Amino acid sequence: MERRDFFKTALTAAGTVAVGSNPLEAAQTHQPIDDRKVSDINFPEKKPLITYSDRPPLLETPRSVFTSPLTPNDQFFVRWHLPDIPTLIDPNKFTIKIDGLVHKEVEISLNELKTKFEQVEVVAVVQCGGNSRSAFSPTPGGIQWGSGAMGCAKWKGVRLSDVLDRAGLKENAEWLGFNGSEKAAYYETPDFVRELNLHELDDHVIIAYEMNGEDLPYLNGYPLRLIIPGYYSDSWVKMLSHITVSDKYKHLFFMEKAYRVPDNETEGETPEKLYSKTKPITKMNVKSLIGFPDDRQKLYLKSQVVVRGVAWDSGVGIQNVLVSIDGGKTWEKSLLDNGENGRYAYRTFRYSFKPKKLGKMTIMSKAVNNLGKEQPLDADIPWNRGGYKYNGIDTITVEIV
Amino acid sequence: MKKIISIALIASIPLMAQVKEKIEVPYIPFPIKMGKGFDSVQANCLMCHSFGYIINQGRQSRTFWSSKVKKMIVHFKAPITEKDAKTITNYLFEHYGNGKEK
Repeated sequence: MERRDFFKTALTAAGTVAVGSNPLEAAQTHQPIDDRKVSDINFPEKKPLITYSDRPPLLETPRSVFTSPLTPNDQFFVRWHLPDIPTLIDPNKFTIKIDGLVHKEVEISLNELKTKFEQVEVVAVVQCGGNSRSAFSPTPGGIQWGSGAMGCAKWKGVRLSDVLDRAGLKENAEWLGFNGSEKAAYYETPDFVRELNLHELDDHVIIAYEMNGEDLPYLNGYPLRLIIPGYYSDSWVKMLSHITVSDKYKHLFFMEKAYRVPDNETEGETPEKLYSKTKPITKMNVKSLIGFPDDRQKLYLKSQVVVRGVAWDSGVGIQNVLVSIDGGKTWEKSLLDNGENGRYAYRTFRYSFKPKKLGKMTIMSKAVNNLGKEQPLDADIPWNRGGYKYNGIDTITVEIV
Repeated sequence: MKKIISIALIASIPLMAQVKEKIEVPYIPFPIKMGKGFDSVQANCLMCHSFGYIINQGRQSRTFWSSKVKKMIVHFKAPITEKDAKTITNYLFEHYGNGKEK
């Protein structure tokens, strides 16, 4: 794409204010809409965030938060599926039940989890599959998220495999159904149950009770949450209270109809010709986000500007984050942090330059992982009906004054 | 690859919950548009979700809105009558539509 075209797209996207009045008619993927303001009302344990719904709560983190390796708990995004979330949980009474194809049905208390099991920690990114959905055009169904339906935290808890061992899996065990404590308004509405194949799960999958050194915030799934490093957040079940082991996949609504992409090489389709076969979104693709400067920020001529952001993938690991300040003509390597948080965490990057010319300029970031996979240009990302898995090269426009 | 999960064999003291009382999730008055059929929207949709869910879907076709209402009935088991479903679809398309039938 020519720089000028690009500029136009970026500016149009940035100028789109209210959701529901998308002026971008062309069927081309563009930068997500990231100029939404945080609400003036805060939610429990949270600073004010971009607020799409209060029931169920849907809160997005502003992109300026994404300069640090860990996302603060009070700014961490929130996404629930069902409206009735328990508003009070007694940690001394809360238990998690494991039943189905097990040798012994068990109910394990929160206190037992914290004291009778090996305690483990993992730093991992959790990202909604629909993060950046507002990048797609025509507008796919679903909340029109900007770039902040994600975060990275240090999760502490116990291994899922240790918990399953306590119950003892039967030989024909194949599928695990995870259910949280939230409920729908009608009894007949299906629970938000996620099904995972046993063979997909390794020892990095944990049941966490702590997030960044604190109890899980209520809205992030207090008191227990399933942590599946490298995977999109749809299966990171919150307020996890029940695991059912079975030998058959149950074809549940939330598995069959939600969080799926076309099962073809590009994972793309068109609104006129939807691809009939679909697959679950599962593992995250490579992506980066510029946390500073903000889109449409003013920067002082000849001042030292340090671009900062985060990059991540499914755990293959980030090799480089390339930055371009000339509209994508030339790319330079940014400086990465030492990677001490491990391969499932954000890798922070920084890139310094001195603006030498007045006027508008673009800053772009492109992550490359250890397999050589890199972020595509936004316009090259094919559309899908759910608006899932956007991972375009991040582009912001600043003004040098 | 370095060991990803660091192991801490601490007999940790159970942490106190940060929330000791019932949490209250605030009510957000989303700016929903008034118009013909709004009563049905209020009576049916609000049982399960806020108006934020509607206005933050983006502008959509009649087919989209009609299939969303059907999804609520078929998959989420919302007891919406056939008549209300039509009224709601018309309302949604009129106020949150993109002008396209399909």
